[in-house]
Amino acid sequence: MENQLIAQPSDGFAQGNFGDVIVVGGGISGIQASLDLATAGFKVYLIEKGPAIGGHMAQLDKTYPTNDCSM
Amino acid sequence: MHIYFAQAIPLITYIDESCLYLKEKKCRICEGACKNDAIDLHQTPEKIELKVGAVILSPGYDVFDPKVRDEYGYGRLQNVVTGMDYERLMCATGPYEGEILRASDRRHPHNVAWIQCVGSRRDTAGDNGYCSSVCCTYAQKQVILTKDHNSETPCTIFHNDVRAYGKGFETFYQRTQQLPNVRFIRSYASIVGEDPETKNVIVRYATADEGVKEEQFEMVVLSVGLNPPKDYQGLAKKFGIEVNGHGFCQIDSANPMATTRPGIFVSGAFQGPLDIPESVFTASAAGAQCGELLNSRRGRLTTERVYPPETDNTAAEPRIGVFVCHCGANISRVVDVPDTVAYVQTLPNVVHVQNQLFSCATNSMKAIVDTVKEKSLNRVVIAACSPRTLEALFRDTLQEAGINKYYLDMANIREHCSWCHAREKEAATAKAKDIVRMSVARSIKLEPLQEFDLPVNRAALVVGGGLAGMTCALSIADQGHDVYLLEKEAELGGNARRLHSTIDGKNVQADLTRLIRRIYRHPAIHVYNEAVITEATGYIGNFVTRITSERGPAVIEHGAAVIAIGAEEYKPTEYLYGQDDRVLTHLELGERLAKSDAAVTGAQGVVMIQCVGCRNQDRNYCSRVCCSHSVKNALQLKAINPEMDVVIAFRDMRTYGFNENYYREASHQGVRFIRWTPEDPPTVEAAEADDGRAVLQVAVTDSILGSKIAFDADLVVLAAAIVPSRGAQEIASLFKVPLGPDGFFQEGHVKLRPVEFATDGVFLCGMAHYPKHMPEAVNQAYGAAGRALTLLSNDIVTVSGAVCEVNEKQCMGCGACVEVCTYDAIELRKTRQGEKAVVNPVICKGDGLCNAVCPTGAIVLKHFTDLEIESQIDALLPEPIEVQ
Amino acid sequence: MCSGRVDLAHILRAFAKGADGVFIGGCRLGECNYITHGNYHALNLALLSKKIFEHIGLNPRRLHIAFMSGGEGNLFASEVDGFCKTIKELGPIGQSEEISPARLEEVMSDITRLVPYIKIEKHEKLTVCLEDETTYEDHFSLDEIKRLFEEVASYYIDPAKCQACMICARSCPVEAIDGGKGVVHVIDQDKCIKCGTCLNACPSRFGAVTKIVGGPVPAPLPLDQRTIVRKGGKEKTTSTEKVLP
Repeated sequence: MENQLIAQPSDGFAQGNFGDVIVVGGGISGIQASLDLATAGFKVYLIEKGPAIGGHMAQLDKTYPTNDCSM
Repeated sequence: MHIYFAQAIPLITYIDESCLYLKEKKCRICEGACKNDAIDLHQTPEKIELKVGAVILSPGYDVFDPKVRDEYGYGRLQNVVTGMDYERLMCATGPYEGEILRASDRRHPHNVAWIQCVGSRRDTAGDNGYCSSVCCTYAQKQVILTKDHNSETPCTIFHNDVRAYGKGFETFYQRTQQLPNVRFIRSYASIVGEDPETKNVIVRYATADEGVKEEQFEMVVLSVGLNPPKDYQGLAKKFGIEVNGHGFCQIDSANPMATTRPGIFVSGAFQGPLDIPESVFTASAAGAQCGELLNSRRGRLTTERVYPPETDNTAAEPRIGVFVCHCGANISRVVDVPDTVAYVQTLPNVVHVQNQLFSCATNSMKAIVDTVKEKSLNRVVIAACSPRTLEALFRDTLQEAGINKYYLDMANIREHCSWCHAREKEAATAKAKDIVRMSVARSIKLEPLQEFDLPVNRAALVVGGGLAGMTCALSIADQGHDVYLLEKEAELGGNARRLHSTIDGKNVQADLTRLIRRIYRHPAIHVYNEAVITEATGYIGNFVTRITSERGPAVIEHGAAVIAIGAEEYKPTEYLYGQDDRVLTHLELGERLAKSDAAVTGAQGVVMIQCVGCRNQDRNYCSRVCCSHSVKNALQLKAINPEMDVVIAFRDMRTYGFNENYYREASHQGVRFIRWTPEDPPTVEAAEADDGRAVLQVAVTDSILGSKIAFDADLVVLAAAIVPSRGAQEIASLFKVPLGPDGFFQEGHVKLRPVEFATDGVFLCGMAHYPKHMPEAVNQAYGAAGRALTLLSNDIVTVSGAVCEVNEKQCMGCGACVEVCTYDAIELRKTRQGEKAVVNPVICKGDGLCNAVCPTGAIVLKHFTDLEIESQIDALLPEPIEVQ
Repeated sequence: MCSGRVDLAHILRAFAKGADGVFIGGCRLGECNYITHGNYHALNLALLSKKIFEHIGLNPRRLHIAFMSGGEGNLFASEVDGFCKTIKELGPIGQSEEISPARLEEVMSDITRLVPYIKIEKHEKLTVCLEDETTYEDHFSLDEIKRLFEEVASYYIDPAKCQACMICARSCPVEAIDGGKGVVHVIDQDKCIKCGTCLNACPSRFGAVTKIVGGPVPAPLPLDQRTIVRKGGKEKTTSTEKVLP
C-alpha cells in the first residue's frame, strides 16, 4: 500500500530537483545513511545546517573502547 | 571568515553573519585579497525545492549545556570544562594544539576530576531524567588519554554506578581502574567554588568511610550528557512527526527507525542517546527501510561514474610526483615542509614536487589530477597522513588522472611524524625526509594491479531465525531479493519466544507471531528449520552453503550471508539454582508471570540477584540487558501486588538510556535496591520466616552500613548472564569470521563497521554480536539488511588487487602456504612438474602469511612484494653495504 | 597486510645494511581482526632471529617485537622509547659485539642464502601459536640453532647415476640445475636454496641426487666430460668411459 502511494512513476525525473531520499543532518549517522543509499542505487540529498559534515564525531579526539582516531 | 576546522569536509572558507559588509555594507578587503576572485558578497539564501520519496532524519544530539544550572559553575569558574571542551583540549587540532592546559593560567593541570551524570539522570528542572549512555565510557577514555599526555596526573571520577554495558566496555573500565593514581568514587559531587588564588576547583563529595569532605582539583571536567537537537520542536513541526517527553523522536520499539509519519525515518541519536556504532547501524537500517519503500525506483536516478582510460605504464621509466601536505598546520608546524620539498626534488625519478595546504581538499585533488596529466607522471606519493583513512580517496584521484590506482604510495608524515615529535622539529623534518625517501623508493617498484569484478548472486542467506534474523530476512526480501533463512530449532523465534512483554509494555508474543506469519507468507523467503550447515564455501557475491534440514539436504547459492545466531541464557550454578525450584532465572520468571503462576503472583517477597555468571573471571563482560530486565520484572510484580517485597541486589545498576526512567519508577514503587561487591556476594539458604513459612533467606552485606542484611524470599530470581551461542565457534570457522575475546562475533570495526566482518560479504546482527535489547536487535537487523543491500543491489562487486599470486615455476609444491592460509584461498594442484600452489585471488585477504613462509619466494603478496619492502629498507639505511 | 608478512630476509637485510636495531610492531596477540593470527608467526620469527643473532654473536636485544592495538599510542611510544634507549646503550651495530662491518656483511649474507632452508626446517615452529609467555625463551634453543647451521644440507647429483633426463632441472624452483638432454646435470651450489625438490624429483630408479650433510660437495665434472654416450639398451657411460654398475 505505502509503496504504491509513495513510489510514483519516476521516469524522466532525473532532471530537476527530484531525488529518492533526503537525509537531514550530516553527522556520522547521516553520512552512513547517505553512503548506503547511494551505493544501493538511490539519489540522495544530504543536508547539513553547518558548513561541514561530520557532526560531533569530527570533534572528538579518539573513540572508545579502542581509542582509535575519530577523524 | 572561517575555515570550520582543519579537516572539514568540504574544506571551504565561509563568511559568517558578523561580516562588516553583510551588516553595514563596509570593508570588502577580502574581495581584493583573494587572487582567484572567489568571494561573492552578494549571495543570498536560496530556497531549493526537492521532491523525494523518503526522508531520513539524522539531526543528532546537542551537548547538554551546564550553564542552565549555576551549581555546575560552568562559565563562571575558569577551570571547569565540559567533556566536549576537554575532547577539544586533548585533540591535536584543538585550541592548544593538543596540550591540555587550564584556561586560567595556561598550565597543565596536575590533578583532574570528572563529575559524571551532569545533566543526566536527574529529576530537577533543566536536567534530563534519562541516562545519556555514553558519558561513563567517554570519561574513562579521557582518563586514559590524560594519562597518555602525562602519566603522573592523578585522575578522579565521581560517579553513581559505572555503566560499562557495551561490548568491550567492562575491560575498558578495568583498564582505566588499573592505571596508577586513578580513583573511582561513588558519590554525588558538587562544585563549591574555586580557590581565589590558584583558581583550583573545590569539589564536595561524600564517601562511606570519611563522610562529607571537600577536595581541590586543578581542573574539573563535567561529563555532560546528550540533549535532543536544540530545535527539536521546529524539526517535529516541519516534518510532521511526534517527539517524546524528552524531545527525542517518538519511535516504536518494534521498529525504532519508524517515526509517527510513514515515509519519514529516524537514525542516530535522535532516536535517543546512542553510541557511535548504533548511530552507524541505525543509519544503514533507515536506509534499508527507504529501500523497502522505494525499491521500484532503485537505480533510476543514479548515474555511474566514468573514469578516463588507464595509460599503460608498465614499461615506462618511473616518473614520480610527490605532494607534501601541510595538513593545515598539523604537519607544517612541526615538519619544515618547504625544506622537505626541496630535499625530495633531489631524489631519483622524482619529476615533480609541491606542497599543498590540504592534499585531501577537493581543489588539491584536482591539482594532482592536472599535474599527473601535464607532466605525464606515472607514480604518485602523497606525503600526508595515514593511508587508513584517505588511501581510497587518493587512489580514486589517480584513477581520475588515468593511471593505475596502485601506483600510489602514502608517506605518513602526520601520525608517524609531526604528531608524535611535536617538540623535536628538526629531527621530525629529518624523519619526514626519510619517510618520503622510502616511499619514493617503494613507488619505483610498484606495479599496476587489476581488481577483480565479480558477479553478485542476488540471494542472501540468513543464519538464525530469531528476532534479528527474521527482521533482517524480511527487509532484504522486501527489497526484491531471495532470502534463505536457516533456523537450528524446529520453530522460528529464538529467545524472543521466551519473552512476553517489553519494558514499555508491548506484547512480544503478539508481535512475534505476526512477524513469523509474514516470514512464512513471503514468497521470497525460504525457511529451513532444524537446519545444520555442513559446508560453507565461496566468497563475496558467490557463496555456496550446504545444509541439511527437516526438508532434507540442500545446496544454497547466495551473494551475501548474515550471521544472526543469537546468544543463550547462562545456566547458573550459583545460589541454589537447579537445587531449589524457588530459584529462577528472569526468563523463567517472565514465563511464569505470563501464565499468572500462583507461586509468583502470591509471593510475599522476591529477591533478584544481578550479575550471575558474568562480570567475573570466566566471563569478563557485562550482559547489558539484565538490569533493565530485572527492573521490568520488578515493576510487573509490584503491579500485581504493590505490597510485595521486591529487592534487587546489584553491583552497578546499568539502566542506560530511557530505561533509567523505569529504574526511577521502580524506586518510587518501593522496589528496594541494595548493592553488593564481588568480594562479598550474596548468599542464599533455605530458612523459615518469622511467620513460619518456608523461605529462602538471602543475605547481602550492605556496602554503606557494612553489616549483613537478610531478606526472606519466596522466590529468588537470578539475572543470569547472556552467553555466546554454543554454535558460535563452528559458524565462525565455517564462514571464516572471527570471534572476540568474550566469544561473541567480532565485527569489522567497533565504531564504523558494526554489522560487517573483515570477510567481505558476511554481515552480523543481533545477540550474536553482543547481548542487546529487542529494539537494539531490530536496529542492527535492519542495519545488516541495509549493508547487505549495498552489495546485493549491484550486479558486480570489485575486490582488491593487493592479493597473493604464485609464480608456478618457482613453486616447489611444499604446501607451507596452504597450511598457513586460514581463508583456504590456496590449494595445491597437480601439474606435469608436480604439485603447485594456486591462489584464488577472490578469497585471498592479502595478509601475506604465505609469502613469509614460502621458501622459494614463489608466492608473492602483490603491492607488498619483497622487492617493494626491501627497497624501503634500503632507502632508509643511508650507507648500504651490498648483501650479495 | 599482517605482521606475519615480515620475512626473515627483511630483518637480515636491515642489519646487513647497517641498521642498529629492528623493531617489529604487531596487533595484540589473540585479538586478530581477521582470522589469521599471523602476529604469532611474527613472534616466532622474532624469537628465532634473536637466537640466530645470539649464535653469531650479535646482541639479540637489537631486535624487538611488541604487540599493541591501533589505539595504544602511549604503549607504542613507550615501547619505541625503551627500544631506542637499549640501542643507544648497545651503540652502533657490531661495536659492542666486536664484529667488523665486513664480517657482519659476510655473516648476514651467508644467513640470507640459508633463509629458504631455515624456512623449511623450522616451518612448524614458525607457525605455531605460543600462548604462554614463559615458553618464549625456550621455543628455539641455542643448540638447535647451532645444529641448524651445522646440518645445512647440500644436494649433489652423482654423474655416474644421472640419466640426464631433465626432470630435476625442470622441477628446480630457482633454476640452479645445469644440463640438458644427454648432458649430466650439475647443481650450481651458489644458486641452490637447499629445498630438496630435486631429491624428490629424481626418479627412484635412478637415485642420482644425494643429500650431503656436513661434508663437502664433490667438485662438478668438467664441462667437456658431461656428455653421455649411450651404448644401447639401458646402459650408459659418460665420455670418461667409466662403466657403471
